[in-house]
Amino acid sequence: MKADMPGAAGPALFSHLILAAVALFSVFPLFWMVTTAFTPNDLILSKAFRFWPDDPTLSNFTDAFRRYPVGAWLWNSIVVAGLVTLGKMLIAVPAGFAFAHMRFKFRNVLFWTVVATLTFPTAIGIVPLYVGISLIGWYDTLTAVIVPSIAYIGFYVFFMRQAFRQLPGAMFEAARMDGAGPFRQLLHFGVPNVLSPIASLSVISFMGAWNIYLWSLLVLDSQDKQTLAVGIKYFSSIDDVEPLWGPAMAVALLSALPTIVVFVSAQRYVMAAFTGQADR
Amino acid sequence: MQIALRATLKVLAPYILVGPAILFVLVFLYAPVVFSGVLSVSDWNFISPDMKFVGLDNYRVILRDPQFQTALLNTVLYCAVLIPAQIAVPLALATLILRIRKPFLANAYKAALFLPTMLAYSTAGMAWLWLFDPTNGFFNTLLGWFGLAPSRWYSDPSLALWCVVIVSFWKNFGLNMLLFAAALASVPGSVMEAAKLDGAGSWRAFWTVELPLISPTFFFVAVTTTMSVLDDIAATIDVLTEGGPFGQSTNVLYYMFERGLRFFQFGQASASAVLIILLVLIVTWAQVRMFERRVHYES
Repeated sequence: MKADMPGAAGPALFSHLILAAVALFSVFPLFWMVTTAFTPNDLILSKAFRFWPDDPTLSNFTDAFRRYPVGAWLWNSIVVAGLVTLGKMLIAVPAGFAFAHMRFKFRNVLFWTVVATLTFPTAIGIVPLYVGISLIGWYDTLTAVIVPSIAYIGFYVFFMRQAFRQLPGAMFEAARMDGAGPFRQLLHFGVPNVLSPIASLSVISFMGAWNIYLWSLLVLDSQDKQTLAVGIKYFSSIDDVEPLWGPAMAVALLSALPTIVVFVSAQRYVMAAFTGQADR
Repeated sequence: MQIALRATLKVLAPYILVGPAILFVLVFLYAPVVFSGVLSVSDWNFISPDMKFVGLDNYRVILRDPQFQTALLNTVLYCAVLIPAQIAVPLALATLILRIRKPFLANAYKAALFLPTMLAYSTAGMAWLWLFDPTNGFFNTLLGWFGLAPSRWYSDPSLALWCVVIVSFWKNFGLNMLLFAAALASVPGSVMEAAKLDGAGSWRAFWTVELPLISPTFFFVAVTTTMSVLDDIAATIDVLTEGGPFGQSTNVLYYMFERGLRFFQFGQASASAVLIILLVLIVTWAQVRMFERRVHYES
């Protein structure tokens, strides 16, 4: 109320001040991460540390790769995020199609069985799952990270059903008249018309899988089997004689870039997905 | 023969299409939850083949464990601080951003505020761990410029929990801000004008007209925020403090994780898993109730 009083310039200035302060809070830790990543490590630990290094260096990156298999971590992260996303799409797209355009017994029960898992905290079954994974010999493999992570498809199935529902049922009816079976209907008439929802879900899934932390920590053991999300912790040994903040921030930057690139390049789809979901 | 096969395939088709989804959620989500319940009333150490039924012993042990009590108290604290903060602050920021007339500036603010959301939890944790670093970290350098004594931040028992709160808030508020901004932008301007013509001040118009109109978004944000506060925060805790010092920043999920992974007390870990499920149900139920009442009241 009060903010409206001083006329047009007052509230605008007020908004800018607050937003600028929050933006600083938001961006500064990342700016600091980038600065540190390009400053020589011995300079970081001295009083001569500046807001931007006089002569930026890549030595932190080479140092990080020399100490730990960072290249392998990066590759593992890409494999995990890629395969989890692929798996989720291969499962959620057909299921969404069937729930949207086919009539069959137990349809509602099955649909809610899948969608109710939306409310499951990710770590809830972690103990039995850990035991099971160990018993079938998946411990310390990427398979152990990938396969159970695919199961969080509640949101994806719900979302794909909504996407397929937007398509006219008459289109599939006509295809059926022409002798197209359900699988042909899905591949030739369904999928080509929901490419943008699929793209947005893929981005959300990729970012989520890039993030998997506790579960990877639990089932991965060997140094070269880690993903970036868990591997980065190797650099945080606080009581080290010579702290490795330079290499640590180099790896942090390496881990941050792929998701930022993926998100920015698909920004429009993702925002549509998020806001579309929120409107329903 | 071929026709019969085709007919069967047609009947089976929907089940083939939804089958993998059902299979995955049953095997990797429902079954583990059920087994958690079984393990929580058993004494089993993974190695021995026999599993002994011990009733509620595991529950008794963890409920008496001071570590668990701290974890439970901290969980309540995390929820009580972070859930309102991650809803109210982004909502306020969204209304501020919508007042910015220049699209370029509005987008720049949105991008800046959303940037942290794109990081992994552990990456975010590492960036802040470095800022908090007691010897060379930026915050202590900053304190030094003002002639203040350095702080131990995450290794100070009374500050550790608040370090986790700040990092968690920083990582998550941008997404909610974007969701609120998108929802508020979709409220037709004519509705707000009508409210003002009826004599409602902008504050009252916001509460009685705009907020109920975006209530689906509000509910979605409330539920997802609750899940993330109960769930994802464990990753931040692990990177920043590992629950310490002296368990001062742990939460129930991290407690469960430690019981299971570090001490291989599967019964106790499962008992805490069951308690977490109950907690989630209670909080979600409370939110649904609050949400219903609000909507009834306004309409």
